[in-house]
Amino acid sequence: MSLFRADAGVEVIEEANDHEIVGEEGTPDQADIVGRTPWALAWIRLRHDRVAMISLGFIVFLVLVAIFAPLLTALIGHGPNAQYPNTGLSLSGIPVAPGHNGFLLGTDDQGRDVLSRIIYGTRVSLVVGVGATLVALVIGMVVGLVAGYYGGWSDTILARFMDILLSFPILLFALAIIARFGPSLELVVIVIAMFSWPYIGRLVRGQVISLREREFVEAARALGSSDLRIMFVEILPNLLALAVIYATLLIPVNIVLEATLSFLGLGVQPPTASWGNMIAEAQNGDLFTVAWWFLVFPCLALVLTTLAFNLLGDGLRDALDPRHGRSQMTPKSKATRRADAKGRADAKATAEAKASAAMVEAEA
Amino acid sequence: MTPPGDAPLLDVENVVKYFPVRGGAVVQREVAQVRAVENVSFTLTTGETLGLVGESGCGKSTLARLVTALHPVTSGHIRFKGEDITTLSRRQMRPLRRSLQMVFQDPYGSLNPRRRVGSILGDPFSVHGTLSRGQVKKEVQDLMARVGLSPEHFNRFPSEFSGGQRQRIGIARALALHPDLIVCDEPVSALDVSIQAQIINLLEDLQDEFNLTYIFIAHDLSVVRHVSDRLAVMYLGKLVETGPVEEIYSRSRHPYTASLLSAVPVAATAFRGARKERVILSGDVPSPVNPPSGCRFHPRCPKAQERCATEEPLLEQKPGDAPGHLTACHFPVEAGEMLAIASRETPALVGPPATSAEATAP
Repeated sequence: MSLFRADAGVEVIEEANDHEIVGEEGTPDQADIVGRTPWALAWIRLRHDRVAMISLGFIVFLVLVAIFAPLLTALIGHGPNAQYPNTGLSLSGIPVAPGHNGFLLGTDDQGRDVLSRIIYGTRVSLVVGVGATLVALVIGMVVGLVAGYYGGWSDTILARFMDILLSFPILLFALAIIARFGPSLELVVIVIAMFSWPYIGRLVRGQVISLREREFVEAARALGSSDLRIMFVEILPNLLALAVIYATLLIPVNIVLEATLSFLGLGVQPPTASWGNMIAEAQNGDLFTVAWWFLVFPCLALVLTTLAFNLLGDGLRDALDPRHGRSQMTPKSKATRRADAKGRADAKATAEAKASAAMVEAEA
Repeated sequence: MTPPGDAPLLDVENVVKYFPVRGGAVVQREVAQVRAVENVSFTLTTGETLGLVGESGCGKSTLARLVTALHPVTSGHIRFKGEDITTLSRRQMRPLRRSLQMVFQDPYGSLNPRRRVGSILGDPFSVHGTLSRGQVKKEVQDLMARVGLSPEHFNRFPSEFSGGQRQRIGIARALALHPDLIVCDEPVSALDVSIQAQIINLLEDLQDEFNLTYIFIAHDLSVVRHVSDRLAVMYLGKLVETGPVEEIYSRSRHPYTASLLSAVPVAATAFRGARKERVILSGDVPSPVNPPSGCRFHPRCPKAQERCATEEPLLEQKPGDAPGHLTACHFPVEAGEMLAIASRETPALVGPPATSAEATAP
């Protein structure tokens, strides 16, 4: 069959192709394209997403604030737990308004600097939100990998277990557990992680079930790779994008959960500042009707943080998983969805504020 | 390492593979079986290429995965270098895997999209722990050069290569540990024709260089004819005809083989004299869950008679055929016989062959 003889024609075509490729790489403009990782490509896409970049900037800012909290409060001159009865409260005991007596965001009912307390609250929120999410991520990935890869009875057991955990009334169980063992930061992280890993686990399991049927997994098996190697070398890299997206979306949920627990007095214990217990203390009385700032600013910190993580997660989804993102949509619908996302996040924040208010009323 | 004496490199004996079909509302029960491969036997000697052809879904790929021990067999034996791989555990199988490799059909799906080519090609060495890290890099670059890729590209991702280049990567991976047998599961069917030629030439060069044995699965008959020494034709999980490739191409005995071969488009000038009547099969391939009785081909066979529906033909040498040319048919096609065309309207599954001579112009 002349078709399969390596005749001159075929060779020429091959050479021509090679030259073309070489030529492309040879040009200095394109040289840096070679070897770009999927992550690098995602970063390029993310950089064009203004909302996500602003959110990312805000999160970086939060992280810096959390890290340099002692430095910042030293600069401000007010410790987070120090009370300033002389400068922080008026003669009749009303908190000082923002901008007066060197209190940028005013003081609370005990004459403490709201800004300093919010700065220290950032630490708690990020440690708990990010920490619990990381723990959840590790557990969820491992369980999801095992369940999805092995299938069969181990999958049945693990998948049912995740379903059961997800059907628990989280808050109720968290309250029970913390009430039993006494509140502490570590316990809050553990409890939140315990109830949030099944979200990751279920997602990972579904992905693994489809990934394990791919030919590259079969190829690895044909080479004699062990199950562990297939799970962690072949399948895991294909899950990381998904994990990053959903971890980013899980962080705000866990931050709110921490705030809720602190609000209910079971999270971070006073006088240590956390956004949750600041909101709780502010609502514990009706002083906030005259001095709105010491209720509003912690709420604002919570809402902005939640919003930033959600918007970043949204942008990451588009950047890392272009097939399921907005990249296929027209610019107009992009804008529409952006607005939708914002609306959703706002609605969430409003709902949270309402829930907090409802709790206060219930307490009163 | 060559097998002692005349022992074949690969000896497949009465291999059967059934896949369970599960159903049921709450408890999943096995309700049926897909008879993917049934009673297949063949042998393969070192340096030989066996072409495996058949329609989609006839069990070719399943057979490939049985031979490479990716699926367990339901029954039967597969001996590779004298060792029965059907009884080995995964751990015991591992050293044998070095000499038993596979090239996959889909050059897009068979390479992990999230790993660099250098890392993918380093796998054979790291899995089998044969080399140090520095040596691996050198080996990988040698491999890439050997299959016609630029060694500098080892830091690239599979998505940065074309289909043909990716298939070269797949071949390099199979070649890495110097195997004896490579099972090629439709290695070129996903590629452009000009690229197909390059890949096939590469496979042939490698065969000469490393004394490789191939099982070459394809549904493109001209490709198979070009690369194979022997041919095995499968229909619905069974071997229907096997023998030296030219023998089968020149005088196929099984009506299914004859119809397959008659479907190969030929350049009008090349075979003007020997132009064959095209045999057009009617109907679809029956379900392997519930295969036809007797000869599995009889519902579609232009030569089917009553006996075909009741008695299963054995794969045996027919009188007048060359040694090694085996056919599983009660009424093999005679030399020069024009196969009648089974017309679409033929309702009778058994009975005299339909004689309507449909126009065969394409």
